[in-house]
Amino acid sequence: MAIDLQAIERLATDQPSLKAAAGLAKPAKWSGIGASHDGALIWGECAGSGANPYRVMADLRDLGNKCTCPSRKFPCKHVLALLWLKAEAIVPFGAADTPDWVSDWLGRRRTGAAAARPAMPGAPVAAKDVRAALEVEPEAPEDPKAAARREAASAKRAEDTERAILEALDALEQWIGDQLRLGLGAFVDDVTARCRRIGARLVDGKAATLAGRIDELPARLLALPSGDRARGAVIELGKLVLLARAFRAAPRDADIRRAVASAESRETVLGDPTALRLTATWEVLAEQVQTRRDGLVSQTTWLLNLGAAGPRFAMLLDFFPASAGKRGSVFTPGDQFNGELVFYPGRMPLRALLLSRSPAEPGAPDWPPPAALAEMLSAPMLAEPWTIDVPILLPGGRLAVDATGQAWWRAAEGDAVLPVAGAAEGLIRGTDLTHAAAIWSGGRLEILAAQTPWGRIGAHG
Amino acid sequence: MAEAIYDALGAALTRWTMGGAAAPVAPPAWAAHLGDEAGEAELRLLALSGQFLGVLVSPAPPEGLQRLPDVPVLAMPALPEAQRPLARRILRTLRDTGSRRDLLRFLVARGWTLHPGDWMPTVNDEDVPDVYAPWRDWAEGSAVARPGTAEALTERNWEDYWPAARSAALTALRRRDPAAATTLLAAKLGGEGAEVRLRLLGLLATRLSDVDRPFLESLSADRAPKVKALAAALLARLGHGSAVGEEAAELAGFFELQTKGLIRRTRVVAARPMKTPAQRSRRQILFEAVDLAAFARALNGTPEELVALWPWSEDRQADQALVGMAERSGSDALVAALHDLLLVQGNVDVPAMLILVPRLDAAQRSDFALRVLRAGGGTFQMAVALTGGESPLDGAIDTTAGTVLLGALKAEDAAKRADLTAELHALGLIASHGAAREALDRLARAGLLAADPRLDLLRLNAALEDGGIR
Repeated sequence: MAIDLQAIERLATDQPSLKAAAGLAKPAKWSGIGASHDGALIWGECAGSGANPYRVMADLRDLGNKCTCPSRKFPCKHVLALLWLKAEAIVPFGAADTPDWVSDWLGRRRTGAAAARPAMPGAPVAAKDVRAALEVEPEAPEDPKAAARREAASAKRAEDTERAILEALDALEQWIGDQLRLGLGAFVDDVTARCRRIGARLVDGKAATLAGRIDELPARLLALPSGDRARGAVIELGKLVLLARAFRAAPRDADIRRAVASAESRETVLGDPTALRLTATWEVLAEQVQTRRDGLVSQTTWLLNLGAAGPRFAMLLDFFPASAGKRGSVFTPGDQFNGELVFYPGRMPLRALLLSRSPAEPGAPDWPPPAALAEMLSAPMLAEPWTIDVPILLPGGRLAVDATGQAWWRAAEGDAVLPVAGAAEGLIRGTDLTHAAAIWSGGRLEILAAQTPWGRIGAHG
Repeated sequence: MAEAIYDALGAALTRWTMGGAAAPVAPPAWAAHLGDEAGEAELRLLALSGQFLGVLVSPAPPEGLQRLPDVPVLAMPALPEAQRPLARRILRTLRDTGSRRDLLRFLVARGWTLHPGDWMPTVNDEDVPDVYAPWRDWAEGSAVARPGTAEALTERNWEDYWPAARSAALTALRRRDPAAATTLLAAKLGGEGAEVRLRLLGLLATRLSDVDRPFLESLSADRAPKVKALAAALLARLGHGSAVGEEAAELAGFFELQTKGLIRRTRVVAARPMKTPAQRSRRQILFEAVDLAAFARALNGTPEELVALWPWSEDRQADQALVGMAERSGSDALVAALHDLLLVQGNVDVPAMLILVPRLDAAQRSDFALRVLRAGGGTFQMAVALTGGESPLDGAIDTTAGTVLLGALKAEDAAKRADLTAELHALGLIASHGAAREALDRLARAGLLAADPRLDLLRLNAALEDGGIR
């Protein structure tokens, strides 16, 4: 099925959309381009501002389309760019089996309702012009004085932010001291309200990440057995003290700043020459979607590096407002792909951005052998004592249950026994786990995926 | 040293839990690092304690951790790896246990089971195919492995079987050696609970014969009314129904034998007009309580005569109630006659035939499903209800129902219609392997995209080779 640039012109909501799409209609921005065997559907993945690429899809029969980006424009620039790639044959759209995420969209959409509404025949199209979108605008010469003013303002802002954070951390420590004085038993009983109050103070103090962490503290604490919560509170609050002290000691440290204030922008990470870039074969372990108390939905994708070099795990983290509705999964657990990742700089690189990916060759390597368990559990806590979640690769083992039904992971060799978070149901309780990937968090294991005699299974397999 | 710190931390934790300063009771090894200022000392102690507890201490496992037995391997293989994502997607769309049961039956009919990583039954999933019985027993919490269940079910090893596996073994035994199954049940049924007795007794409906009569008669003294009623119904199927009692006479009172025609006078059963809803309700209750032979005798006839003289199509509710009575207590011969009679009705009463389904064999059900699909008004969903997805049909799309579906899919609102989604799913359940491929071709020509998720079950069907059974 063919599409021409005029149709794209009609489809675009405005000239800036076309202009942005022209910038994206370049092969380097895209991966996973494909078309259905009948030629009706096209899709691709476009690098955006998040950790994951946006998934873009279109139905050429009626130009219905969908993109996972948060843009309020419909269609967004990514959709226009995908159509542009097709119209101009900028990249080949090889016929392939339709991915699940495209089929899922096809099932959800209602022809007519969700389909793009190309401008009515006869509607003026002069306001949008593909040729104009392609024109390169000359860059205005930089005014050295303006640049200096901008830099000074930026430095002043950074200074103000730092001062606000330090004041907020003082308030945090005061608050922690109060909790100890009033008793952790009472703190556990009233944890949600108390955390909400200090969380709000931290937001005012520009310590947004820390505020989010404290917002989620009650959920982590209340997930523990009641007898374990006071101990859990000591660990959680102790980590906060350590983080506050670390920030005071090194307020410009990227790792620490990320844990307190906010993460660097994608552009900053991409432009950082010290940021680790790694091309490897990755397996998608699991995707965790969580609606946070602050109204954001966090989408965390855990990746396992199947190669020998570089960090063993990577975490792709994106946020979007809950009001934006359900967002399609970016990956399917078990998917393997070759991909280039750039890691946020840090002592133990984990959070990363996905730069490009392509399908893994058949016969991708098996899961790598795990390191020593004690080392895996403690090393990240020693390098960054405020860390909450530590991904680990467990050696052979099996789940067992205690008299209350609580599941425990028990190593096949040695005497390691670790408690498992939540209810482990189904197959995972009744088979050997040759390997398992898990998150060690708050003294509990959250199993993400495992290799078993039944093949690879997910947490609830 | 770590032990000493841990021991000393107990007192600090107690103070913090209650509220109060813990620095005075801090582990001696840390005392020098806490400083002199009281508030600062508490925070430093908290930081050290948190790190110590988080890194060096993990909850001690309780005594008596139990390793659950392996999830058993089933007698049929799990779906091929390539088809699992599709099966998972279909499972996600199924809203009720009935739809899931149809999918499971469809797969079993083709020789496959679901992978346990994608779905496992719970112990309460009683209507899943017998092949899943080992998983149901495993789900019951079979922490205590029972001795081997590889040998055939006998009185001696009855207790070695977990309930679902026992039920499945008894079903197989009944098909293979009906008398042996009756003997076994006669010996063991009394030891089971009422619900289990009822379920196991229901297995005797297969290959029922006079050999079962003494055992069934012995159940007239059973403690559970439902068991007694089922035993009585099975006896009635053998021609040993109850005598005409008050209820049969009362039911007969709702009808009368009339003579019709002036020259060639024929007798018919006619329903007396009912004046109140309460009468209709009472009649329905009586239909469900009385057996067919007793009802026929109360009208001075035989069951065969009753069915032949019945005023079919005049009162659908009464028709269906009579079919229900026949399904429950009619002999095999009478059910066969009733099946033939329903087929020759001008306007086949599908709901009535559905009531009769438990007494029909696979060929009868397939045959009727095809008739329904070829007749106007028939749907693939009706065919699923008739066959349970267990009897693959060839040429499914080449039926009136197929033509109607293809036409409806061309309508403008086709994508929004849930009934068409359900029809496409049902078509996937009843089509044979070849019929599924053919249907996909026809649907593609009708404009449906191959990736349309409404075609998922047809695609799974077409991708699955028959004979997954090892």
